[in-house]
Amino acid sequence: MTGFHLGTDKRATLDEAAALVPSGATVALGGGLCARLPMALVRALVRADRNELHVVGSAHSIDVDLLIAAGAVGVCEESYVGFEQDLGLAPAYRRAAETGAVAVRESCCVTVLTQLRAAEMGLSFLPVRGVKGTDMEALHPEYRRVRCPFTGDELVAVPPLAPDVALLHAPIGDAAGNLHLDQPYVLDERFAHASRMVVTTVDRLVPTSEVVAAGVTIPGHTVAAVVEAPFGAHPASCYPGYAYDRPHLAGYIAAAAAGGSQLASYLDRYVHAGEDAYRAEIDVARLTSWSTCDTAWQELFR
Amino acid sequence: MSWTLDEWFVVALARTIGDGEVVFHGFASPCAQVAMHVAKRTHAPGSLLVEGATYAVDPVPVFVPPTSNDLALHRDATYRMRFEEFFDAACRGAIDRMFLSGGQIDGYGNTNVTAIGGLPHPKIKLGGGGGGCNISATIGALTVWTTRHRSGRTLVRHVDFLTDIGHRTPEGDRAELGYPGRGPEWLVTELGLFDFVDGHARLRVLFPDVTLADVDAATGFELRVELVDGLLPPPTAAELEAVRAVDPLGVRRSEFGPDELRRTFP
Repeated sequence: MTGFHLGTDKRATLDEAAALVPSGATVALGGGLCARLPMALVRALVRADRNELHVVGSAHSIDVDLLIAAGAVGVCEESYVGFEQDLGLAPAYRRAAETGAVAVRESCCVTVLTQLRAAEMGLSFLPVRGVKGTDMEALHPEYRRVRCPFTGDELVAVPPLAPDVALLHAPIGDAAGNLHLDQPYVLDERFAHASRMVVTTVDRLVPTSEVVAAGVTIPGHTVAAVVEAPFGAHPASCYPGYAYDRPHLAGYIAAAAAGGSQLASYLDRYVHAGEDAYRAEIDVARLTSWSTCDTAWQELFR
Repeated sequence: MSWTLDEWFVVALARTIGDGEVVFHGFASPCAQVAMHVAKRTHAPGSLLVEGATYAVDPVPVFVPPTSNDLALHRDATYRMRFEEFFDAACRGAIDRMFLSGGQIDGYGNTNVTAIGGLPHPKIKLGGGGGGCNISATIGALTVWTTRHRSGRTLVRHVDFLTDIGHRTPEGDRAELGYPGRGPEWLVTELGLFDFVDGHARLRVLFPDVTLADVDAATGFELRVELVDGLLPPPTAAELEAVRAVDPLGVRRSEFGPDELRRTFP
């Protein structure tokens, strides 16, 4: 980021938050795999009809896939997009990569991390030891081989990555945008400091004293806007609030794989109908039952 | 006592972990994930486990869920590394072993987890490699595995896209590339077990219901064979008990096709 975001009241609506993310923006998505994904913001970007977004990050799933399914993405620079062995390949991502609808510039977690650090430090590059000899290098003409002035080792220099915006979700945060996260933080901290601004949702907006008592993970001075969006990570998990919604994810994957009218009905029902209608569809009792006992928790995954 | 192929497979992976090693698995790796906990509970109590996408150190999972960034994997862990803390450790050589798989694997142990048909025109876009591209170069040793050897499409002469580094790439070997990691040490498949000699895979043992002809028919790279006895002993009662306790949901089974899941022993 080039500068801090001052102010004590950054509360916004989802529409106002989406307005901060123009088409074509480089967007870092917080969380990882199927945990703490900024899904309410993703849905808001689809409703705002964004396109040509350049998404960057580590290992992701429905956040990236839904954006691609809705035609919002031009370039994908994530290290992984998929649903692991549980639900398999990401259907929209796979189709868009195979037809060329999205430019795939797959990256590696370490390379992305190194590029974010270069941006955080105000440097024009940092080196990585790996990548050389792999096909990842040809995919990224922006990388350059350099020689270490001290050891003579040949390393791969990678440019800074300063996303236009980092979209995050947190269980709690205050009006100034101070956020508490539970581990794993994945790249959320690095995204916050490397990006020009953080736009975030929180399950619960709370007084500053409550965030401070829990521990501030993302400081408010990196945050431009904060939206209270209960279940804002759903169908990803956001513990301690709620677990991974496996039936919803399976339904999404079936719709995205089918495309056409099935995908359109998913988008109508879960995205275009708005966030209030979306929340009304969530089986809250089921997803919050994980904490009642280990058997109930395990049942959520069957 | 009887056991299934998926159980024996996980035990074979577990036995590649030495006591006292620092071990890591990536996401989308249920067999490796279960194997690490089996090793810790049996022959490698002194190992240090870094749990996949949670980066928790030596957690005792409530159960293994089918998604690898889940609280069930690290509840009550005393310490969770930050993402960057783990990857820094892997890059500087502090991690002894990592498990890697791939849609394609060549005889040098290079893996393709990016795209069948390569990029920019993939025939099948796979999920992607996570952090493997960099850390396969620097982690001490790699255990490579696949549960899809029999398909004939997995062990190939050339990978369509080289995501993670084995012993040798078209640009040179590890020494020439300046990579400190020792590279793939084992390749475990649902048909048998390979080690690596002179940087190339060598078949050492078959599962008892598999013939050399089966392996020959399924292997695209040059099949080098030097079979030995005693490298794949049956699982012990303690190992089987550990597999079943760690993975009550049977998440490991999601890696296998239905025919492989029907294989039982002895």
